Amino acid sequence: MATQVDRPARWRGMVAMAAAGVLAAGLTACGSDSGDGDANTITVSYRQWGDSRIQENYLTGVKTEFEKANPGVTVQLEPVVASEDDYFTKLQLQMRSPRTSPDVVYEDTFLINSDIEAGYLRPLDDQLADWPEWERFTETAKGAGKALDGKTYGIPDGTDTRGLWYNKELFAQAGLPADWQPRTWDEVLTAARAIKAALPGVIPFNIYAGKAVGESASMQGFEMLLYGTGDTLYDDASQKWVVGSKGFTDSLQFIKTVYDEGLGPSAQQVLDPNWNNTVNQQLLPQGKVVISLDGSWISQNWLDTGAAPWPQWSTVLGNAAWPTQQGQAPGRVSMSGGWTWAIPQNSDNPDMAWQLIALLGDKDRQLRWAVDNVQIPVRDDVATDPSYLQANPTNEFFASLVPITTYRPAYAVYPRISNEIQVATETVITGGDVAAAAQAYDEQVRAIAGDAVQPAP
Amino acid sequence: MAAAGTLLRGLPLVPSVVLLVAFLAGPILYCIYSAFTDMALTGSSSTEFVGFDNFVRAFTSPAFGQSVVYTVIFTVVSAIIGQNVLGMLLALLMRSGAKVVRALVSAIVIGAWVLPEVVAGYLWVAFLGPDGSLNGWLIGLGLPTQNWLFTTPILAVSLANIWRGTAFSMLVYSAALSEVPKEIEEAAVVDGAGPWRKLVSVTLPMLRRTIATNLMLITLQTLSVFGLIWTMTKGGPSDRSMTLPIYAYQQAFQFSDLGYGTALALVLLLIGGVFSVVYLRALRLEENP
Amino acid sequence: MTATDLPSRPRAAKAPAAPTTARPHRRWVGRSVVNAVLLVIAAGYVVPLLWVLLAAFNGTAGLGVDWPAPWTLDNFRAVLDEDTTYRPMWNGLVLCGSATIITMVCSVLAAYPLSRYRSRFKRPFLLTVLFSTGLPITAIMVPVYGLFVQLNLIDTTSGTILFMATTALPIAIWLAKNFMDAVPIELEEAAWTDGASPMKALRHVVLPLMWPGLAVVALYTFIGLWGNFFVPFILLLSNDQLPASVSIYTFFSQYGQVVYGELAAYSLLYSLPAVLLYLLLSRRLGGAFTFGGAVKG
Repeated sequence: MATQVDRPARWRGMVAMAAAGVLAAGLTACGSDSGDGDANTITVSYRQWGDSRIQENYLTGVKTEFEKANPGVTVQLEPVVASEDDYFTKLQLQMRSPRTSPDVVYEDTFLINSDIEAGYLRPLDDQLADWPEWERFTETAKGAGKALDGKTYGIPDGTDTRGLWYNKELFAQAGLPADWQPRTWDEVLTAARAIKAALPGVIPFNIYAGKAVGESASMQGFEMLLYGTGDTLYDDASQKWVVGSKGFTDSLQFIKTVYDEGLGPSAQQVLDPNWNNTVNQQLLPQGKVVISLDGSWISQNWLDTGAAPWPQWSTVLGNAAWPTQQGQAPGRVSMSGGWTWAIPQNSDNPDMAWQLIALLGDKDRQLRWAVDNVQIPVRDDVATDPSYLQANPTNEFFASLVPITTYRPAYAVYPRISNEIQVATETVITGGDVAAAAQAYDEQVRAIAGDAVQPAP
Repeated sequence: MAAAGTLLRGLPLVPSVVLLVAFLAGPILYCIYSAFTDMALTGSSSTEFVGFDNFVRAFTSPAFGQSVVYTVIFTVVSAIIGQNVLGMLLALLMRSGAKVVRALVSAIVIGAWVLPEVVAGYLWVAFLGPDGSLNGWLIGLGLPTQNWLFTTPILAVSLANIWRGTAFSMLVYSAALSEVPKEIEEAAVVDGAGPWRKLVSVTLPMLRRTIATNLMLITLQTLSVFGLIWTMTKGGPSDRSMTLPIYAYQQAFQFSDLGYGTALALVLLLIGGVFSVVYLRALRLEENP
Repeated sequence: MTATDLPSRPRAAKAPAAPTTARPHRRWVGRSVVNAVLLVIAAGYVVPLLWVLLAAFNGTAGLGVDWPAPWTLDNFRAVLDEDTTYRPMWNGLVLCGSATIITMVCSVLAAYPLSRYRSRFKRPFLLTVLFSTGLPITAIMVPVYGLFVQLNLIDTTSGTILFMATTALPIAIWLAKNFMDAVPIELEEAAWTDGASPMKALRHVVLPLMWPGLAVVALYTFIGLWGNFFVPFILLLSNDQLPASVSIYTFFSQYGQVVYGELAAYSLLYSLPAVLLYLLLSRRLGGAFTFGGAVKG
């Protein structure tokens, strides 16, 4: 097709242009250095959510206080606006290189153990030994940043808890009490059946299941159930994943019952990846979902600054703790996540970084953060502080769950295990058999965790 | 003389080659290497060479086989049939449409292309979902409604991808058609060829190369579509729209198994390679020496 | 949209091509049919778009196609600020504009020998390059990040521009070569006989003939880069350098709540530069998207 052309003399123009191109490429390659080799600069990387200024204002305030107390030191805030996965990829890449590693990082309890196993973070036990403030943190919260090796790598700045949200107005219509507190799973089902009978066309009880809603199905759904049966996902003493427990099949059976009886959403609804937002921004405010098992944070949707303002929410909705299966002690169940502050292995000023984390962990700072960001506090003195309790109508309730809450066994394989939980719940809500789903889960866990698996006692 | 001539002829390639070698060659080789390791960004501090383990794992996994099937369906329906045919149709129609209509149509089609992927995903959820506008009309017409994202997820995401990606094919074909000398088509008409015949035996053969190039590019793009499907269905329900990129993302990102995820991506490239060979053969584009 | 629609179309297309043989009446009918079909397709395109258009003006937007209630500009007001829109837009224009220019220059230069000369290396070379770009960006970015740290290019706009231009090159070269192939070599030969160098021939003969194609390459490159989130996100550390594609995440909060109204409003603003570029190119190039007489250009 192309004709042979062979006229070297005519190439001068093109050669010149090509050379210019290369030269340009070479010149621009001389960039500037932006690493934070300066030992007097503390770089803080954190995930910034949404366009709210709450976190930015809070951290800027802390930065000013810290710089005032430590003359000559600069705190450089590096907020990262991204999805969770992208945030972690960037953070991990930065932490791998001493030249770009931040000094203080914000780590989700969901992933901190993975980063610890990858060797990205420093243990903080030496510092904690000399830090009196640590005594004020609740015992459960101290485990948030604790690794398999028994050392602590992260200081939590708050947490979240989970429980029931229910519509008091619709409860009245269905003849249910306004101050509802179910004692057992059966009492929840009884209430849901009463609602179904009295109020056709509503979703009596929303409990998440299936892969589409992701971790919501594991944590707000299945794990809330399992941790109220006396069984567990992971045995801390033997450091093994538990398979074949009765609690596991009971929990699946409960979910199956809810969906089969039409007490929950349809499988089609919950298998929509946007179901969380649909429930919280539309169906709950519209009174189309009556009870929802969800997180402490969902009222953020309804604040003036939220995605779906709903001024009446605090009078319409009530809260109740999720009960254990048969009402066995402690009677209530909650799961927790949340974020921690940690110091990367490659930080070039770990001592100063600790000073900053210590400041972020004191009462005043934690109180301010809990109030401003509607966080559930991890310090007992913050949880009982009047200014915290008055800040949001649900603060007292959800903070009261902290002593009995459980952190996920978020070790490196947890994301896969969690995925298998979601698969099992999806199986049972789409007509599958509970025993088969539980057996498939057991097989997958053995494949994922290898030797670190044990049958339930 | 010959060698010097070849070198000189190649000179305009230099800027491109320099950039590609400087920034892509190393990373790509590293990337291929990582497909043979258990590399992870987190969860483990060491990386070990594991040979073909990742590939063996893929080819023995039912989820992988299933995702290959969905990937091929998605690509054939949305790119090869949808974008390609609709793009050509639009390009041909626009040649004789009124100016206002042309401007309007092209602006709208381009608009669909430039919206962020995640927004395109949301807008299709709003359109196809259980309470979406499509079902609203079906009710209006007295027809049964359904949750398209639940009953036919792979077709739903394919439709969205046709909507989003046709602009590219339309532009490519429009540009190519504008380079087809009018005289040749006119000659065919004078010879008494009907319009259909003119298209099949005159216009399309002249666009052979463009069709092959376009098919190749849209196939590669479509094979790796991620954000749209992720927003609309997350690969569900019950993995019924789990294409390879979604599967690879889950493995590499959510399960921190970068080595396996990269191996999956290499398989994806292989699939793209197979498609390309088919195009090049079918359209007889091998350059005869 | 199916193959059965095809026959009606060339009849319409024929009219302007051979006006002397078509009776005015048939021509008019043909044109009307074409315009009608185009408008039907456009309507099919607009309907899904309604969500983003309505949600952008809706004070209580959700994931449904609802008439705005209340009808408001608040969503736009909320996103139109320095941090969310203005600065990222400007950064995006600098990053993507520069990268597009580099890509265009390099790809046109590269396309010339690839289109005009034969070599058994060129197809394998092109295929390798093209397929390599299909590798997962996350996997690629791990070594690229390391490379950028070594070269001191991390967190520099210039380094990011060069890398973005490089990622766009393979497809740009393919497209440019394809469009250049369509330009008959005879025209160049005529120019050479007149004493023009290949460079001159490229500039004065080949390029003017392939403007429509070049416009497509430029548009495709720019739009691809404009939508690229991950590369600038990883290579630029400081927030004030990040482009518009990153701002999308501003509308997702801690627990995945989406502020749909603001997201929709932002998306409309975000799409503007690409649409404007399209309008500019289609206008500037006259014949390019009006599909007539470019060859005679």
